[in-house]
Amino acid sequence: MRSEVLIASVGMPLAAPPSVGDVLIELGLVLLVLALLGRLAQRIGISSIPLYLLGGLALGKGGIIPLRAGDDFIAVGAEIGVVLLLLLLGLEYSPEDLRDGLRSTWRAGVVDVAANALPGFAAGLILGWTPTASLLLAGITYISSSGIIARLLSDMDRIGNRETPVILSLLVMEDVITAFVLPVIAVLLVGATLAQGALAAGVAIGVVLLAFYVAFRLSARVSRAIHSRSRELLLLTVLGITFLVAGLADAVQVSAAVGAFLLGVTLSGQVADEVRSLLPPFRDVFGGLFFVFFGMQVDPRTLPPVLLPAIALACVGVASKVATGYIAAAIAGIGRAGRWRAGYALVPRGEFSIVIAGLGVAAGVEPRLGPFAAAYVLALAVAGPILMRATDRRRAP
Amino acid sequence: MEIFETKVPGIGVRYEFTTEAGDRAGVVIRRDGTRDIVIYDPQDADAAIGTIELSEGDAAAIAELLGGTTITVRLEQLRHDVEGLAIDWVVMPETGGLTDLTIADGKIRTRTSASVVAVVRGDHAVPGPGPSFEFLAGDQVLVMGDADAVAEATRILTG
Repeated sequence: MRSEVLIASVGMPLAAPPSVGDVLIELGLVLLVLALLGRLAQRIGISSIPLYLLGGLALGKGGIIPLRAGDDFIAVGAEIGVVLLLLLLGLEYSPEDLRDGLRSTWRAGVVDVAANALPGFAAGLILGWTPTASLLLAGITYISSSGIIARLLSDMDRIGNRETPVILSLLVMEDVITAFVLPVIAVLLVGATLAQGALAAGVAIGVVLLAFYVAFRLSARVSRAIHSRSRELLLLTVLGITFLVAGLADAVQVSAAVGAFLLGVTLSGQVADEVRSLLPPFRDVFGGLFFVFFGMQVDPRTLPPVLLPAIALACVGVASKVATGYIAAAIAGIGRAGRWRAGYALVPRGEFSIVIAGLGVAAGVEPRLGPFAAAYVLALAVAGPILMRATDRRRAP
Repeated sequence: MEIFETKVPGIGVRYEFTTEAGDRAGVVIRRDGTRDIVIYDPQDADAAIGTIELSEGDAAAIAELLGGTTITVRLEQLRHDVEGLAIDWVVMPETGGLTDLTIADGKIRTRTSASVVAVVRGDHAVPGPGPSFEFLAGDQVLVMGDADAVAEATRILTG
């Protein structure tokens, strides 16, 4: 996640060149494995994220077919994947959505943080992790997967349901909070002294605030400046700006992911619509690489020892999200059945838990973090949709 | 009918309403212009039991089907938007005025600068009728122009 990783990765092929052919062969294999897993996920009707993670576990160190030559390219691809994931997440929400979300669901948002982040933090401390690693775990247990949830809501024809805005507002809220917390975590991961850390965190939060200010005040103007009739030019401009902003954000310790998210929020109107239709294929390819890369970094042999605590925490995670959704929907005046639906809908964890875990893995903060996060997300990315379908009367057996 | 508007973050806006017959339904207008018609479960007020996905074209076609009133609503909107633009519906009288005569006979455009934009006859509409269009009693005629011109045109149409 750090810029050194990027630079090292880009520089690597020059230093110790695996042949171009090897890299292409391995990259081709990885993409084909992704394609097969994606098809399998579609066939059995689950999210592709857990399968991509499993694919990564199989291809990484200690896996069934460990790959070596393409590593560096996949690392860069994974970084691009995170940036695009967060850019499109930011694009999903207009500044107005963020403001309305904050205004209408802040109480539910507080419940959400208390019920879902605290157990993660406590679990980290109980496992004997450092406070920083525990904070990362708190982030992993806190943030629901907007990707999985949005897809399911649409697949299950729940877009028109009255509890759906409550669910989506909570997801918006989580993203905003994550945008503020990630830079702080990024600073903590660097391991600065308290004073340095406070300064860096201040700068980081200042940048986030500035970005939100730009998003609210200058959104239309920024979007007009970027717009182009040519899809090619628009794509080049948007990708160029995205990587530049993400890289700069990374350089000032705000984390590339947050930079990309904030840029996404800043873009609105026609540009946002066009980018939303142009970028998803890129995001899916590079995002897939990201999940595989995360899986590759986890040695499957380190999984069994963390399996039990991870699953226990996942059970807590189900209960706490269901409670959060139930309460949030109750505050919004939704009936009983709708409250349960909102609760179960929030259970899936996915891409953003992995993004947060990825920060910690890259910084080498806690060896058990990677396998723990993988097990946790695997459990909830699979269980979440199943639970959600179970609350759907019409599809119940 | 009361219509409630709710923002759906990242998706668009949802309007929900209860019909006079007591059915609850809603329309979700997505940001990409597609629309969903949602029918709510009478047992569970929050849940949709059916969703019809409409493209922009589908939505326009259904709006036409649902009647001329949509045209009025849109024009009402237009009137708010454009200052100095007057719009009026004129119902053709049984006799007199331009009833049984053509648009050309009335020379409305020349005499008043107002235009006949559309005519609604029964349940179908004639947008942009030509000079040889013949008015019948009961036609609803949509006239547009500045306020004076529309008033003058109304006098010519109804006699």
